[in-house]
Amino acid sequence: MKKIIALLLALCLVFALAACGADENKGTAPSTNAPVSTNGQQDPSQPTAGEASDGFSFTYNGATIAINAPAAPILEALGEPKSYTEEASCAFDGLDKTYYFGSFYMNTYPGEDQDYVFGFWFADDSVSTQEGIYIGATQAEVEEAYGADSYNGSNAYIVTKGETKLTVILTDGLVSSIQYDMILN
Amino acid sequence: MKKKRIVTLAVTLCLCLAVLWFLQLLLMPKYMDVSRDGALTGEYYDNAGNNDVIFVGDCEVYENFSPITLWEEYGITSYIRGGPQQLIWQSYYLMEETFRYETPKVMVFNVLSMKYDTNAATGSSTQREAYNRMNLDGMRWSSSKWNSILASMTEEEAQWQSMFTYLFPILRYHDRWSQLTQDDFTYLFQKDQISDNGYLMQVGVKPVTDEHVERPLVDYSFGQTSWDYLDKMVALCQQYGTELVLIKAPTLSPVWWDEWDQQIEEYAQAHGLLYINFLDYQEEIGIDWNTDTYDTGLHLNVYGAEKLSRYFGEILAEQCGVPDRRGESQIAADWSEKVKTYQERKQTLESANTQS
Repeated sequence: MKKIIALLLALCLVFALAACGADENKGTAPSTNAPVSTNGQQDPSQPTAGEASDGFSFTYNGATIAINAPAAPILEALGEPKSYTEEASCAFDGLDKTYYFGSFYMNTYPGEDQDYVFGFWFADDSVSTQEGIYIGATQAEVEEAYGADSYNGSNAYIVTKGETKLTVILTDGLVSSIQYDMILN
Repeated sequence: MKKKRIVTLAVTLCLCLAVLWFLQLLLMPKYMDVSRDGALTGEYYDNAGNNDVIFVGDCEVYENFSPITLWEEYGITSYIRGGPQQLIWQSYYLMEETFRYETPKVMVFNVLSMKYDTNAATGSSTQREAYNRMNLDGMRWSSSKWNSILASMTEEEAQWQSMFTYLFPILRYHDRWSQLTQDDFTYLFQKDQISDNGYLMQVGVKPVTDEHVERPLVDYSFGQTSWDYLDKMVALCQQYGTELVLIKAPTLSPVWWDEWDQQIEEYAQAHGLLYINFLDYQEEIGIDWNTDTYDTGLHLNVYGAEKLSRYFGEILAEQCGVPDRRGESQIAADWSEKVKTYQERKQTLESANTQS
């Protein structure tokens, strides 16, 4: 009897403290004691923070902006933004930040130690993509640059490269928005 | 002898269950200091009954409306069943659960969550799971909670083991033993009430400095899942004779696109619902973005929430016919206590804010 009782109590503790239940290899179990920072870009399914992906980048005034690169050196090279806003999620620590540099916006997400580039998008026609597409370009020009396969059938061309995505949105046959993003799984 | 063995075994089993229950209580997050929003769901049950207005939604309800102001100004009894990034299916099942406890005259739903049509649209799985826990762990067990879990689980969670972790949270939180803090012992059996009838007070001031800008979307259409749950909300409220009111809180970020507004307008019109986009009434409400927000326009602080509640209270009283219950002695006595707690909390937070 004592053995049974001892076994039950032992099982009790093992059940409570050992790694049972949800499969933690799938990255679905954050510490709810102190939740990770905003928007969960630390998800293991995402690129490792700080490792600039082999995706799209953009050069402006000599500064190369690569998605998922540390934001601080880029911000230093770009100089003072024209405006800046920040956004926290409902409950988590950390801020998503958006910087406006006149010709484009860049937003960042908080990593554990510093901010990283999440994406950027054009604000006017003074800047263009590496393939020469700018706000106001025609659909034919976009198709020539990115191919018909990237057309979504309604109003946008979406091209992926590495872990990044370029979205070119058309309004009335002309480019109205050009956006670069990290691909979230 | 055999009987003695059975008794001993039964006692041992009970002891084991008691140990597990105790460990579960100890290991589950308390949400008293960090991520306090996670404690909101569970606070409702002590305040259920006699609420004429129930709000459901995300932080746009629990940080922007003050039930105490609705009471003080209009004698309206209300409760906010909000949760951080509460998704529309979670709002629906909270509504459904609410009708087990009371039948409010008005159910208010903040429509921002219409933009999250799928679990995947809400962000990474890590964050979604954490938000799910904050919204769901505090619910009492019922078919509503079960269905809400099924609707909420992330793709990675959608397996029977994960449902077990909601049934027995110790399976989810067992590895917190190394992160336990004093709070886990202080709030082991009794938690502080962190909200005032679901309102999470903030007294800080951080003015809006620049316009919040978001990149245009490829497609502004709300997804079918969102529409389906909105249909279910309409049907549920009709079943209980409760008026469903759709609102969009007046906060500036996330951006509420005109295209989204148009879709809700049309839906409300088609279904005979009152829809108020408070963004259109900022001036009438009297919101001053220099003083009435604690985070540059994402949420209102208590001063903004009181203004918004005064404005909305008039609509609830005059257009929705929500009664003034200040003449009912028992209810008035209960709310007098709530008002006292609210004022004390406000004073304490203001003092702390001034000192910092």
